[in-house]
Amino acid sequence: MGSISKRPDPQQDLKKIRLGAGSASWGDMLDPAIDLVKYGKLDYIGFDHLAELTLSILQRMKAKDPKRGYIPDLIPWTQTLLPLCHAKGIKMLTNAGGANPEQGGEEVLKIAKAANLPGLKVGVVAGDDIFDRIQDIHKRGIKLANMDTGEEDIDRIMDRIVAANVYIGSERLVEALGKGADVVVTGRCTDNALYIAPMVHEFGWAMDDWDKIAAGITIGHIIECTTGCTGGMSNFWKDIKEPWRAAFPIAEVYENGDAIITKPKETGRFITEWTVKEHLVYEVHDPRNYLMADGIADLTHLSIKEVAKDEVRVTGFKGKPKPKMLKLCIGYEDGWIGESEISVSWPDALEKAKFCESFLRGRFKEKNLEIQEIRVDYIGVNSLHGPLASVPHPSELNEVRVRVAVRTSSKEVANLVRREVTHLWTHGPVGSTAVISPPPPRQVISLWPTLIPREEVPTRLIMREV
Amino acid sequence: MKKQIPLIDIAYARSGDKGDVSDIGVMAKDKKAYEILKKYLTAERVKEHFQGIVKGDVVRYEMDNLDSLEFVMFNALGGGATRTLAMDQTGKAFGCNLLRMILEVDE
Repeated sequence: MGSISKRPDPQQDLKKIRLGAGSASWGDMLDPAIDLVKYGKLDYIGFDHLAELTLSILQRMKAKDPKRGYIPDLIPWTQTLLPLCHAKGIKMLTNAGGANPEQGGEEVLKIAKAANLPGLKVGVVAGDDIFDRIQDIHKRGIKLANMDTGEEDIDRIMDRIVAANVYIGSERLVEALGKGADVVVTGRCTDNALYIAPMVHEFGWAMDDWDKIAAGITIGHIIECTTGCTGGMSNFWKDIKEPWRAAFPIAEVYENGDAIITKPKETGRFITEWTVKEHLVYEVHDPRNYLMADGIADLTHLSIKEVAKDEVRVTGFKGKPKPKMLKLCIGYEDGWIGESEISVSWPDALEKAKFCESFLRGRFKEKNLEIQEIRVDYIGVNSLHGPLASVPHPSELNEVRVRVAVRTSSKEVANLVRREVTHLWTHGPVGSTAVISPPPPRQVISLWPTLIPREEVPTRLIMREV
Repeated sequence: MKKQIPLIDIAYARSGDKGDVSDIGVMAKDKKAYEILKKYLTAERVKEHFQGIVKGDVVRYEMDNLDSLEFVMFNALGGGATRTLAMDQTGKAFGCNLLRMILEVDE
């Protein structure tokens, strides 16, 4: 952005790099990532595709076919962006390797070959996946207590575990960049490791320079959710003039750790102190101790200031030494959910919804279905705010959509729930309609978050070349 | 004398999740509002507000530098996004839900 160099800049003599955030989840929008690469004057672009549940889904894909288990989006993303990034000298870091980073790296190599990019280097970071060793680790006396519930009896779920991945830090990613990787493919590293690695590599920061590492963690956190700091999920949504024009963010980072959060002027949305603040308070738990594999960031000394249109300066990074334990997320099979919906019409929509609920609960009981939990929502009334919702006067309701969901150990029972809702079409009140096609039963993967000593998680880097 | 202030008039909020834990970041619209939030928007008050939804403890953290409070609510998401029967699996609407609160403030 030209405006930065024109303005008197106390940091003008400092080295700086520009990092783009190209994805926040599996299924994120591709177009704003293309805009970033085209217009962002980037040095690096990071792609986070993994949420807590994702590894469990990917592990099951890999179990069916050992050549899968990476994020399928890796293919179209790489096909579209790799040639563009290569032409501009932009390095890519992605955790789309998922449950199979080695194969993810292989796929990137294939695409690079097809695009005729000889000499292109791919760094594959592996070792986060400890699925095969989890029983052994537990047998050696490592407790693996559930950090949410405190429960210690992991044997209860041991034979139902489908995934066990450790949130690893940026160390191997830094090593990959040092060895000249153009693309780094990882599995479950922390989201912000994708952004810490280029900073450490470019600025030569020591991995125990905790304030600098905290800068990396914090800046990574601000941009890693892409639209999270550019007006997505925002309280300020009314200020967005052209909702269809998205934007992904850029962090322009200086070697002292200070950063400017910005975006290409060719894109929509906006970046203000508020949109940056909205993401700084998002999912950080204790802001004095924002725990990551690489270090701990104390966010309570940060200062944010809008220095130009769509440019917010972030300074004041304070860090503490990295935790001794790493976070391990275990996913295990935990029954089935069956759900379905039907709409009921004015007049008396709310009363009709209650009739439907009574019908369903009664049918489930009469058929003596093995059900662990039932939930009925009146969409348009209380599905989001539950018991706290203020219910509009019944005469004002044009319609209510009734949704029932049950959890059960049986796929068959989950499937029956769909059929029972379908019966309301003909057995329900006048004006019951719009069942559409209910979703198939879905298997529940519950999560068992826990901690594991670092030394139990050796990681490795595999360098490949086209 | 007590004055009633809708939280939505003086604050913004954004919520997210980690496992069965819901996080709500509450941002005061200005410094004066932040002082009101610090005094009246206590962890106990938030816990009481989410009665019937949040089953575990509620912990409050202060971010004076950003005029913001962070609420961490345990056992809040029906076992977590992957397990819950709720439609709002990640508690993304919890922030809006909190903003329904009316604060009773000393004049």
